[in-house]
Amino acid sequence: MMQLIAPVISNKEVTPGMYLLWLHAPGLALQAEPGQFVMLRCGEGCEMLLRRPLSVHRAREGQIAFLFHKVGKGTEWLAQREEGDTLDLLGPLGNGFSVNPAAQHLLLIGGGMGIAPLVFLADKALERGADVTLLYGARAGECLYPEALLPSGINMVTITEDGLPGRSRSVVKKGRVTDITPQFFSQTDQVFACGPVPMYRTLVSQIKSLEKPLQVSLEIRMGCGVGVCYGCTIKTRLGLRQVCQDGPVFDINEIIWEEV
Amino acid sequence: MAVQIAPGHRNGLMLRNPVMTASGTFGYGIEYAPIVDIQRLGAIVCKGTTLEPREGNPQPRLAETTAGLLNSVGLQNIGVEAVIKEKSPIWAEWEVPVIVNIAGESVEEYALLATHLEGVAGVSGIEVNISCPNMSAGGMEFGSTPQMAARVTAAVCAATSLPVIVKLTPNVGNITEIASAVAEAGVHALSLINTLEGMVIDIKRRIPILGSITGGLSGPAIKPIAVAMVYKVAKVVNIPIIGCGGIVTASDALEFIMAGATAIQVGTAHFLNPNAALDILNGIEQFMEHEGVHDITEIVGAAHRCD
Ligand SMILES: Cc1cc2nc3c(=O)[nH]c(=O)nc-3n(C[C@H](O)[C@H](O)[C@H](O)COP(=O)(O)O)c2cc1C
Ligand code: FES
Repeated sequence: MMQLIAPVISNKEVTPGMYLLWLHAPGLALQAEPGQFVMLRCGEGCEMLLRRPLSVHRAREGQIAFLFHKVGKGTEWLAQREEGDTLDLLGPLGNGFSVNPAAQHLLLIGGGMGIAPLVFLADKALERGADVTLLYGARAGECLYPEALLPSGINMVTITEDGLPGRSRSVVKKGRVTDITPQFFSQTDQVFACGPVPMYRTLVSQIKSLEKPLQVSLEIRMGCGVGVCYGCTIKTRLGLRQVCQDGPVFDINEIIWEEV
Repeated sequence: MAVQIAPGHRNGLMLRNPVMTASGTFGYGIEYAPIVDIQRLGAIVCKGTTLEPREGNPQPRLAETTAGLLNSVGLQNIGVEAVIKEKSPIWAEWEVPVIVNIAGESVEEYALLATHLEGVAGVSGIEVNISCPNMSAGGMEFGSTPQMAARVTAAVCAATSLPVIVKLTPNVGNITEIASAVAEAGVHALSLINTLEGMVIDIKRRIPILGSITGGLSGPAIKPIAVAMVYKVAKVVNIPIIGCGGIVTASDALEFIMAGATAIQVGTAHFLNPNAALDILNGIEQFMEHEGVHDITEIVGAAHRCD
C-alpha cells in the first residue's frame, strides 16, 4: 500500500459516460494485481470526505489506468481531470483475483462496467501464455468498451440487450451475458466475473451443478478502503468479511446472495 | 509539545504531543502503519471494544453528506478477548501509547471490560464510550443523563488502575451537566464529542439511505458544534479535555485547544488523508513557532480570556 500524487497522462470519454483515465504512477503500476483497487481522492478540500474506490483497469510501463462511469459527484469531478492535473491515490488495496498458475483456459464474464478489472486480468494471463475468453455483456451497443483497446489474442463474445453492435466490428448477439455463459463453462479451468448483482445471482444458479471455481468482484460503499472503518462489512458463509480487505474478490459460493 | 492527559492519575498519562487518533477511524493502529509514521502520534485510540464480538448494523453503513460523513457501523468489533490476545502484544512493542475505547450495554459490562484490560501490557488507558444504548434503560444512551453517566464512570474507575477518559455524546440537552457529573465521579479526563445523530433519505426510492435508518454524523460539518461544547465544558470542569469533531487541519485543532482542549483527536479526516494527524501535528508546531508559543499549554483555553 502507498499514498502518492500521480500526474494525469490522459482522460478520455471512450463511450458515452465511460472514461478511461491514465496516470503516471510507477510504484503503483508495479505493485498492482488484477482485481485490486485504488482509493482516489475527489474534489477540492473537504468537498467530498470519502475517496472513491476504482479497480485497476490496466498497468504497464509505469502507468496505471482506471475505467469509470460518470455516475455521481465524485466520478463527475474525475471526468473533468485533464492532462497536467494530479490525483491523490491510495493503493493498491484488496486481495485481487487468485489465478491458479496451472490454469490454461480462463473464462472472464463481464457485465457493463464490470469489464474494468477483467481487462487487467486478461493482460496478465495472456502475457504468461494462457488462453482467455471474455464474455462481455452491455446494456446497449453504444455502451460497449472500444474493441480496439482490448489485448490482442483475447477471444471475445459480445452480447448487448438491444442487439446492436455500436462501433464494434464483431458479431454481436442480443440478450444478456448470462444467456451464453453455460456453454462455455465446461472448457475452462477457472472463471472470473465482474458485473451487477443480478448477473451474479444468475451465475450462482448456473454454476451450482458444475463445481467450477468462480470468483466474483463485489462493489460496495467504502469509507477507508484499508480495514479500519467497518463500513464495508458483509455477512458471508464464512462469517463477517470486509470487502475492502478480505475482498473485493470472493468465491461466488461464499456470498449469501439473498443478503446482498 | 508534551501534554499530560491524566494529572490526577499516578502515571499522569504523558503524551509526547497532543494529537491523537479518534476511535473507529484508525482501527488498531496497525492498518495504516505501512504509510503513516504512527510512533510520532500523541496516542492511538483503538476501535470501540465490547465484551463479546459484535456484528454491527445492516448495510448500507455509510453516507457522505455535505462536509460530513454519516455512519451506522454499530460497533462491529472483535471483542475484548481478541483485542488482548491479538492486538495488545503488538502495541506493547510500540512507543506510542494505545488507549482502548470500550462500550457496554450495562454498568456491569463496562466494569467487566475494565477488569479484563487490567494489567494488559500495551494498554495505556481506557476511553469509555457512553454513547451506546443502555439496554436495561430501554435503549437510552448511557451518556444521556448525569446519573447514568456518573454510575458508569464510577464503576470503571473502581475496576481499573489505568487512567480513565470518558467520551461524551453530543446528543443530549445539556452537555455541561453530564460533564460535571462524570468529573465528580472521578474520571481523569473527558473527550468530546462523539457523533451527532443524523439521517439521509434517498428521494427517488423514498427510503432512508442507512440500513439502520439513522446514524452518527462526523466530519467538518460538526466542528463548530464540537468547539462550542468543548468551550462550555471547559468552563465547568478542571480536568483535561480532549477535543474531537471535524478536525481536518491544524487550525481546526488550534480552535479546540483555544476552546480549552489539552489534546485533540482526529477522526474522519483519516479517510481523506491517512496522514491527517501527523500533518496537523506539523501545522501546530509551525503555528507555535510563528506565534512565539513555547509550550502548548500556554494557549489551552486561550479563547476564554476574553470573556
Ligand atoms: C466510521 C466511524 C466509526 C466510529 N467508531 C467509534 C467507536 O467505535 N467508538 C467511539 O467512541 N467513537 C467512534 N466514532 C466517533 C469518532 O471517534 C469521533 O468521535 C467522531 O467521528 C467525531 O470526530 P471526527 O469528525 O473527527 O470524525 C466513529 C466514527 C466514525 C466516522
Ligand atoms: S472500507 Fe473501511 S473497513 Fe472497508
